[in-house]
Amino acid sequence: MSALLEIDNLSIGFRAYGQYRRVLHDVSLTVGEGERVSLIGQSGSGKTVTMRTIIGTLPMPPGVVEAGTIRYDGRSLLDLNKIERNKLKGTGISIVLQDPMLSFNPVLTIGRQMDDIVRYADSRLGQSRSTARRRAHIVDTLAKVQLSEGARILDSYPIMLSGGMRQRVLIGMALLNKPRLLIADEPGTALDVTTQDEILALLNMLVAEEGLSLLLITHNLGVVREMADRVYVMDKGRIVEKGTRDAIFTAPQHDYTKRLMAAVPPLYGPDVVTIENHHTDPNPAIRIAGVSKDFVGRSGMFHQQRTLHRAVDKVSFDVMPGDIFGLAGESGSGKTTLAKMTLGLINPSEGNIRIDGQDIAQIAGTADFRKLIQIVYQNPGSSLNPRRTITDQIAVPLKFTGHETARIKTRVGELLEMVDLPADMANMYPHELSGGQKQRVAIARALSVNPRILVLDEPTSALDVLVQSTVIDLLHRLRDEFDLTYLFISHDLSLMRNFCNRVGVMLRGQIVEEGPVADVFGNPTHAYTKALLSAIPVTTDEAEAQKPIVSKEERAAVLNPSTAIGG
Amino acid sequence: MSAPDMIDATRSLTSRQMALYRFTRNPAALIGAVIVISVIIAAIFAPLLAPFPESAGSFVDFRNRHAAPSWEHLMGTDNVGRDVFSRVLYGFRVSLGLVVGVLGVAVPFGVILGLVAGYFGGWTETIIMRFTDIMLALPPLAMALAITAVLSPNLVNAMIAITLLWWTWHTRLIFRIVKAQMNEDYVEAAQVAGASHFHILFRELLPNCISAIAVKISLDAGFVILFGASLSFLGLGIQPPTPDLGTMVATGSEYMPEMWWQAVMPGLAILYAILGFNLLGDGLRDMLDVEL
Repeated sequence: MSALLEIDNLSIGFRAYGQYRRVLHDVSLTVGEGERVSLIGQSGSGKTVTMRTIIGTLPMPPGVVEAGTIRYDGRSLLDLNKIERNKLKGTGISIVLQDPMLSFNPVLTIGRQMDDIVRYADSRLGQSRSTARRRAHIVDTLAKVQLSEGARILDSYPIMLSGGMRQRVLIGMALLNKPRLLIADEPGTALDVTTQDEILALLNMLVAEEGLSLLLITHNLGVVREMADRVYVMDKGRIVEKGTRDAIFTAPQHDYTKRLMAAVPPLYGPDVVTIENHHTDPNPAIRIAGVSKDFVGRSGMFHQQRTLHRAVDKVSFDVMPGDIFGLAGESGSGKTTLAKMTLGLINPSEGNIRIDGQDIAQIAGTADFRKLIQIVYQNPGSSLNPRRTITDQIAVPLKFTGHETARIKTRVGELLEMVDLPADMANMYPHELSGGQKQRVAIARALSVNPRILVLDEPTSALDVLVQSTVIDLLHRLRDEFDLTYLFISHDLSLMRNFCNRVGVMLRGQIVEEGPVADVFGNPTHAYTKALLSAIPVTTDEAEAQKPIVSKEERAAVLNPSTAIGG
Repeated sequence: MSAPDMIDATRSLTSRQMALYRFTRNPAALIGAVIVISVIIAAIFAPLLAPFPESAGSFVDFRNRHAAPSWEHLMGTDNVGRDVFSRVLYGFRVSLGLVVGVLGVAVPFGVILGLVAGYFGGWTETIIMRFTDIMLALPPLAMALAITAVLSPNLVNAMIAITLLWWTWHTRLIFRIVKAQMNEDYVEAAQVAGASHFHILFRELLPNCISAIAVKISLDAGFVILFGASLSFLGLGIQPPTPDLGTMVATGSEYMPEMWWQAVMPGLAILYAILGFNLLGDGLRDMLDVEL
């Protein structure tokens, strides 16, 4: 097999702030004709720098190519002049970017943006086509990405399309000029798991039918298993392991690859951890009874119409003391709204919530309530104030629950130790800490007043998988040590399987299925739960075989198809 | 998209070191800093630095009037024989006094209103921001002229007039920053922790506005000097014999073009001070990476 893309001993550095740092060390990588190759790495591993060097968008300076070559179809990309290089854009190598919203210009129609791409590629190649012929070509291309209403899509603005459709259009854009190599940077990562699944299937189909080569850049091992013939594992700017997909997944050699594999929470199989609750207290820690929440939306610029949008619809469930209750659902399912109501931040439109037997309407806002329930947010970059020291931040709940100033300092020391952070971090600012360390600070802050219940709003979704596993271990340990009850909100069902003892699955504001994890995952009854579980990319063939089977009709009934224009 | 990779290259530096690096690699900012420091030193030590300190007052030496610049009188003398260079040094004093007086009141006032409007929203926001809009709609020079004309022209009244108009810009700036910060989870986190409004306003939100305020103050300082000088030039600001740069330009302009130094030298001094503050402000903006 001849190599279409061949990277040889590429070393790249950055010169910034008077310092020089090498970020890629002797990277070698090949993609053969018609081959699917994956490059796996965590954030900061250098995979994006590699990608940007290939497509020629790495800013130089500060970037410096120290050594190495990149050859595409036998031609050295780094030696080509600008004009020759531009001719390859879209026609030789094309790219699908991660975020389908950020990749579009919001004020231009999809048709205009796609037409520009065709027109500029034509002019680079010295040919020209009529507007009507270009439009026909675009509609044909959209049909390839399973968007049948091509004409309507072309007249739409990006905001009118769903996330899945935008991702499809983006793939269509990449295919417009018939490239031979498609580079996909974390495709579908920004989307819900069921939509991501459709996008991955589409990419696989395109590779098979159009004879494309695919270089997939991702951090998700499950995605790699579905999408790659060969795999490269990257860590700290080095390729630490390469091999066929089966070799990497069944017998990883390098220590880093092994750790990465071990850190991925398994959905099925012998490694699944099942958490139990040994408490026997019959009084629920959280009782949610018939809770609904309506939001008022306004539409129209002059004649405002009030429309009610029901975010949470008659939800009832109990969280018992000692439970780790997982609330699963995709974006827009109402899980975060429910969490905010549980914290008393917004009031339910109907129904009531009791925390530890007391009606939340009565106790929200009191110091006693704050000692009962606290929250850890999704993104510690946002939930920690960038301009305050770690001590200052952890001390806030203490200060406002009547702790003496003298005791606060010792308490902050205790809390840092509790979350395994060194004491000298107390006077640092958040930007001096890594993502995982920041999330530990956020956990310490939530625990500072000894609450009995913690709401965990996707506490690990902003973290790399290796870091995630350490934070999850910490949360399990703290629960045992301090007798905590967790309400855990997430879209990551594999993680839930190993972290929670009970789960509730939310769809459009309603809980469609609820029960102990082993039952819900082992024997899902609702079509939506089945669809969710079957869409999760897993890392072993055994797990793949154990996924529930969901028929096309069942799927269509519960999911908004990503191929039609809608909401 | 490549942010993590890019940051990785500089991870060993603290953000303070990076900011300092950006500042020292910016020659314009360094020049600005040197100019501002020289203006401040001139203002503080005017009595020691001025070759003819008595020129600051109503000193008269008719034998020496209209003397051209020389080694003895670096910027020449004016129509009553006072040393222009000495008067310029004292003039910086008056200008900086004006800056401190105006910004010392206008900035805290404007910042607090901006914080309150952005944090509480709703009716509070509507009232504060619409009032700010009304104040912004008044032509500043005309307003200042009216105020000083009514209150009798002197330094304090000029200060009051400028202050009354100046806070609006800070309210707008801070309001916009706070509105953006309200989307960050740390504000809600503080509310869940039971923090008081006072705590959230001044301990959580204000520290995130400080860089922008610093840049704005530096850029403002130049404009306040210019504004004060304009008022004085029109005869509605600081009155003789107080050595104000604007008044000096106005008096000196009567002897243009033959005895040009009497107007040009104080004019250049105004230019020098404003240039310094503006260069410094631009440098700070790049260094602290804020958008105004």
